[in-house]
Amino acid sequence: MRIIVALKPTYDVSQLKFDSEGVPLLDTCPVTLGEADKCALEEALKVKGSLGATVVAVTVGQSEAHIKGIKDALAMGADEGYIIKINNAWNISSITVANAIARFAVVTGPYDIVFTGSGAGDTHSSIIGPMVSALLGYRLVANADKVEVKEQKATAKCTMEDGTYNYEVEFPAVITVTSEANEPRIPTLKAILRSKNMQVKEIGPEQLGLSVEEYKDIKVIKHMVERKRVIMEASDQKSTEESVVKLLTFLKDEGVI
Amino acid sequence: MNYEFSEEEKRFRESVEEFCKRYIEPRWVEIDEKGHIPLDLIKRLGEQGLFAIPVPEKYGGMGGNMTLAAIAVEEIAYHDPAVAVAVYTLLQNGWPLALSIFGSEAAKQEILPKVASGDAFFGIGSTEPQGGSDVAGIKTVAKRSGNKWVINGEKAYISGVREISELPEGGGYFLVSKTEKAEWGHKNITDFVLLPKWHGKMSEKVKPTVYDEIGRHGISTGGFKIEDFEVDDEFRIGEINKGFYYVMEGFNIARVLVAAATIGSARWALDKGAEWIRERKLFQGKPIASFQGVNFRFAELYAELEAAKYFVYRAAWMVDNTYLTNSPRFKPRDLDVPVALAKMKGPETATRIYEEVLKWLGAYGYTKESNVYRGWLGTFSYTIGAEGSQNIMRYVIAREVIGKEYVSHTG
Ligand SMILES: Cc1cc2nc3c(=O)[nH]c(=O)nc-3n(C[C@H](O)[C@H](O)[C@H](O)COP(=O)(O)OP(=O)(O)OC[C@H]3O[C@@H](n4cnc5c(N)ncnc54)[C@H](O)[C@@H]3O)c2cc1C
Repeated sequence: MRIIVALKPTYDVSQLKFDSEGVPLLDTCPVTLGEADKCALEEALKVKGSLGATVVAVTVGQSEAHIKGIKDALAMGADEGYIIKINNAWNISSITVANAIARFAVVTGPYDIVFTGSGAGDTHSSIIGPMVSALLGYRLVANADKVEVKEQKATAKCTMEDGTYNYEVEFPAVITVTSEANEPRIPTLKAILRSKNMQVKEIGPEQLGLSVEEYKDIKVIKHMVERKRVIMEASDQKSTEESVVKLLTFLKDEGVI
Repeated sequence: MNYEFSEEEKRFRESVEEFCKRYIEPRWVEIDEKGHIPLDLIKRLGEQGLFAIPVPEKYGGMGGNMTLAAIAVEEIAYHDPAVAVAVYTLLQNGWPLALSIFGSEAAKQEILPKVASGDAFFGIGSTEPQGGSDVAGIKTVAKRSGNKWVINGEKAYISGVREISELPEGGGYFLVSKTEKAEWGHKNITDFVLLPKWHGKMSEKVKPTVYDEIGRHGISTGGFKIEDFEVDDEFRIGEINKGFYYVMEGFNIARVLVAAATIGSARWALDKGAEWIRERKLFQGKPIASFQGVNFRFAELYAELEAAKYFVYRAAWMVDNTYLTNSPRFKPRDLDVPVALAKMKGPETATRIYEEVLKWLGAYGYTKESNVYRGWLGTFSYTIGAEGSQNIMRYVIAREVIGKEYVSHTG
């Protein structure tokens, strides 16, 4: 069996600090693989342990953090690791990322499963996996809390807003995994030392047939809403009632209601 | 000269940190409160490969080195500042390495894999009730009887006594003993592997007691009487009457890790202190960190901690060169001063940092709720003893630097 695990290094939100103005201090924040991504890798490594599989870790981007993310994946037990060399990886659109991963799967494939985290640690848009499945024409199971892989198919339990779904899916398939799915292994010293001489392989966008046009920077437009900081006192019954009236009038004047 | 950790060392530190955040940090207060490291945690530490790090893989070890062991111990102490788990871990790295250097093939094959997996404990049995600093003055005696040795005596203030009785396999000590007769001197000492409990069976010839201590409650310290305990000659460590030299080298190895534990705990305390002095605001909203009386002291303590850290990792690097890469330039005796510097500086720096941080925290620091006192009491154990007292470190440095002809431990 051959498995891809698509990974993205993100800011470790648990260690993120803010300055006195509330601006996040990104420069001092460690960058690591997201929790759900690690769980996706763990699922792949479990299959490797039980059924035997070649696990290929891949990330889109070529920064230090991307290289480190792939080395971490090798230390955890991935057999091969790739970075797709796009230098503005933080600023490209999700469809471009998904396309790069799908092209990678075609060029280095065939594969039985593409595992990925249900969402990245930072943006958490949860769209890469579904896009990859659409681009490759693979079946999709999204947001799996529990995965069981057999020779030809997998079963997965997925918690959705309206309930829990149990799926059975034949390969090839894309399975996105939540951070509830397992407890990802922590690389042991022996595994770290073993992975020391493993190469992080590089693959250029041109090798994947991606044109520069496709991965140009996207423009980020921020919508800022100026807060008006209107404060209503409500310390007792009387002031609470008065405040309710004031609040309703204010919201009407603003055109909100 | 290179002052940077290698990529693997950094990755290993991260992995230990992740392990600690998951399995130790949520439990360290409970461990200190209940006076017990849960056996499942010991097993996990073994499974994660945090014991026998510098021991060769052929004896079940991790095939790493002392630098990596020091990283592990420092990081564990950061997440268990009361240091019980760190002490447990350091003993399971230092003394297994000493056994792998000086022990017989049979003893290494028998014991080390079980220590590495976390099923057995292996510590040091040197100190006796009449005094630990004077190793030449011990009274435990081993008498040869055919292919066996019969040992009698009493050991005191020994770490791991209760853990041996609780672990599934058991465990034992690098035991320091007089050969045939209890006469003062260092040329009549032989070391043995003493296993009061092995294959899950407790010997009736070793009678342990456990002491009630003021800190680092998670790991036990106790004593035991040894009555006609028989040890196979195969479990003798090294040559007859050379035991004093082996145990001194063993102390040099273990002391590096003791110092690593104290700097890990001290770093936690200083981080806690920094967080507090930034946030505590007095005199019309000024953070107390803005007062020179506080921030100058912070700078001094930070400098001391950095210095202690350099001592620790230089000593670890020297142990690696001396015993693991066997670089011909390094002799065991060359370790005496670098190791004594680390073991002197680490615990004393930690104690100083704790005392200051407790003051920064004000009355809150004096409450049990702040938990800072746990680290203070834990690291203080190492200013008293365990792998040698602080005065003995001073004695070693003075003896080696000023000269033997001027410095005597009996004068
Ligand atoms: C928590 C803890 C755990 C321990 N675990 C172990 C263990 O696992 N195995 C083990 O074998 N031992 C262990 N010990 C014992 C430890 O190694 C001894 O405490 C240490 O060697 C000192 O011995 P002592 O306590 O008998 O003090 P003593 O040797 O009686 O010394 C008393 C005081 O005199 C000072 N002193 C002694 N000689 C000199 C000198 N020549 N010049 C100047 N000052 C001197 C010492 O510094 C000390 O302050 C442990 C101790 C503690 C506190």
